[in-house]
Amino acid sequence: MRGVLVLGTSSGAGKTTFCAMLCRYLSRRGMDPAPFKGLNLSLNSYATRDGGEIGIGQAFQAWSAGIEPETDMNPVLLKPSGNGVIQMVLNGKPSMDITESRPMDRPTAMAEAVRAMERLSGKHGFLVCEGSGSPVELNMMDRDIANVGLMRETGINAVLVGDIERGGVFAALYGTWRLLPDDVREQVRGFVINRFRGDASILEGGISRIEELTGMKCLGVLPYMDLRFPEEDSLSDSQGRLVGTNARSAFMSNIDEFTDTAESSGFDFDSLLSMSEFRSSA
Amino acid sequence: MDCIKKKVNEKLKAGWIGPNLRCDYHPSHFSGQDCTFCYCPFYPCEDTDLGDFIVGRRGQRIWNCSDCLFIHRTPVVKFILSEIDRLGITEAGDPRFKDVLASAKERYFRRGRALMVVGATSDAGKSVTVAALCRILHRRGMLVAPFKSQNMSLNSKVTRSGSEIAMIQTLQAKAAGLKNPDAHMNPILLKPKGDTVSQVMVLGQPYGDYNVTDYYGEFVPGPGREIVRDNVEFLKKRYDLVIMEGAGSPAEINIYDRDIANMGAAVIADADVILVVNVEWGGSFAYALGTIELIPEDDRKRIKGVIFNNLRGKPDGFKSAIPEFERISGVPVIGVIPHADVTLPSEDSEALRGVHGKGEGRCLVGVIRFPRIANFTDLDPLFLEDVSVRFVEKASDLDGVDAVVLPGTKNTINDLKWMNERGISDRIRELRGKVPIVGICGGYQMMGSVLDDSQGIEGGVPGTVMEGLGLFGNRTEFGEYSKRIVNNTAQMLVGDGGEVTGYELHMGTTDVTEKPLFEITGMFNKDRQVEGSVREDEMLFGTYFHGVFDRMPFRRYFLSFVSHDGERVDTSDTRDYDDIVEENIDRLADVFEENLDMDALLRILGVAE
Repeated sequence: MRGVLVLGTSSGAGKTTFCAMLCRYLSRRGMDPAPFKGLNLSLNSYATRDGGEIGIGQAFQAWSAGIEPETDMNPVLLKPSGNGVIQMVLNGKPSMDITESRPMDRPTAMAEAVRAMERLSGKHGFLVCEGSGSPVELNMMDRDIANVGLMRETGINAVLVGDIERGGVFAALYGTWRLLPDDVREQVRGFVINRFRGDASILEGGISRIEELTGMKCLGVLPYMDLRFPEEDSLSDSQGRLVGTNARSAFMSNIDEFTDTAESSGFDFDSLLSMSEFRSSA
Repeated sequence: MDCIKKKVNEKLKAGWIGPNLRCDYHPSHFSGQDCTFCYCPFYPCEDTDLGDFIVGRRGQRIWNCSDCLFIHRTPVVKFILSEIDRLGITEAGDPRFKDVLASAKERYFRRGRALMVVGATSDAGKSVTVAALCRILHRRGMLVAPFKSQNMSLNSKVTRSGSEIAMIQTLQAKAAGLKNPDAHMNPILLKPKGDTVSQVMVLGQPYGDYNVTDYYGEFVPGPGREIVRDNVEFLKKRYDLVIMEGAGSPAEINIYDRDIANMGAAVIADADVILVVNVEWGGSFAYALGTIELIPEDDRKRIKGVIFNNLRGKPDGFKSAIPEFERISGVPVIGVIPHADVTLPSEDSEALRGVHGKGEGRCLVGVIRFPRIANFTDLDPLFLEDVSVRFVEKASDLDGVDAVVLPGTKNTINDLKWMNERGISDRIRELRGKVPIVGICGGYQMMGSVLDDSQGIEGGVPGTVMEGLGLFGNRTEFGEYSKRIVNNTAQMLVGDGGEVTGYELHMGTTDVTEKPLFEITGMFNKDRQVEGSVREDEMLFGTYFHGVFDRMPFRRYFLSFVSHDGERVDTSDTRDYDDIVEENIDRLADVFEENLDMDALLRILGVAE
């Protein structure tokens, strides 16, 4: 199987958009990519043609890849419905209400996620997988599905996206790497610095230090762009221009611009492709 | 001198009086100060721990001890009085006062300690943490000063002596119970002018414009470090504790050796450090550990505690991971602070990012959202009123507004061009006489008929003379590169004649042809001075005063012109903004105090209770 898992140092680090860009890039190269997110916590969902429900981010990523969204792209969707109740959507259909006294059945959800990923992999050439939140929330790491869980189950390699806009990006990248469990840490092969403004040469000393300390390779520094992308969860507060009345076509032209910028900025797609072979659980 | 002697003699007769709450000037330094020696018996002590020589207007040397707090501490005062009694001193000028001061200093004068609060990111909650700590320690009777060596902010205020410092340090000083924040508390202020250039203010006065490379290459290694050292020392001599605030993340390892805002300042001040991490975006354990471990070992030892801030929802799950975090990092977690819903002025324009409006009142106030909007804390009191605020970025945003506010800007000329290009200027002219329009500072300059920037001082393009909105006949000229920085109290010449306070911060001078809005009532003014412009019949108001809405009278007056379908704004609950802020500082401090390990904090501070 081929694919890569995109992890973020926090919510809103830019995982969703980065994955969409990767989908567009790979689609341009004729590599037949498909997006995947094992578990998505989002209120904004999209109805697929076959009547299933998935996170809106995966729908936009599918379009970026030039394909139709389908439920396997987001097998577990958690929709907070207030008062501590979360509706779990499994393979596109509402399956149960999660409450404090009735927690999610993690082994089942994990197994469903891996099965969906394998089905998807059978139909496409490359899986662009998105993680969820930060992978190293110490209080939740052992129950994780979309990040550490997926890495353990499938052996997929990962890249880590850090957001420089709020500052502290080196600390975020290094701290995330340090807190990952020993058995999966080496699967994180590269990192990306996202939303940078100014002259990237000022970052050089910091980047080489992180490479030295962690063995992760810096795949690129992506510039801040005044572009609006769909908002996955209530925490993100992105703004920017979204030209045109049709959100989908406006998004597509944005993602084209972002992909062009990534290519012209010398983003190291080759290294990313070279780490993309992985075993599956099967 | 004879005058002072006479006053001192009166003081000696009066004996101990403690805080003089009936005095109009109380508290002149800090709340709880001792006023017994309103006139100091040691003057001029010429002790450089307590004051310094300055040059007077006629070139003479004058001993200046206006920042001395030592003589206003009750234990010191009581000791001095007992010594006076013991030695039988009855007259000012007695040579034995020298010995009394020496023994008082011996007993009570201690250099304060410094504690630094750094954040894993911008917006981590550093400044509110400093404000909360200032209030908590002030409530426990300590004399505390806030300090931020270098602040980058477009929200600034003017001190009593006419220096410009970041607004947030004035708020923290208020939290510490200090009456007169001064420039030592924020000696370097960077005011961004574009993406890469900032105006550098040193001790509240313009120093020069620097780009990023020159700032780190020349300013920081040159005067920068000395400025930080001198001002921390100044505060340490006067206060028990100096609570320092970092800037951004302290672990920007690409520029670590050029830092004077974070660990660099902590080293200069020999301060222990607390790291604050905002939990809201997730990844907070990673941010905390990464920050701690990327800091070189020598400096890392200074980090004595971590505060996780802004936790929403139930804390149990999050807290369950803390022992493991402490084990891995080796640094104790001294607090997990829940999200505190407090009303405090916003520090930087990030707070306005993605915000398109505020409030739920019926009347709609359109605030022009200039690209270089500055001192927008002016608007905070309006947000608390029974109105809705809409940020106007295009002409159609003015549809249906019941009032228009033109706030301050870092660049009047370029933002006026922006307004003209977007058709906002024309829409405002159409609204003339239909809804009230108020301009503050740069917005006030725009309301005039002409803005003359022939020399290109404001907009950067020589030969620029622009037509203003023409709502007033005033003419503003940007004649020389100089900045007016003053702090004023004034009386309204309209409405109920109530009091307003405000501070001016601007380039350019305005030739006013309109009826004035305020009369300045500062105590040192001999000539009658007026300020602002008003055309009440057309509901046009303009002023250079930042903070004009803080006090009730003008806010209530302005809102009296605002109505929606004949329904007016209810201002019956209107209060002074200062009182609201004061209450919220207390609430913030309560939340921190309840959720901090106070014993651990006091141990870090080296304060025994």
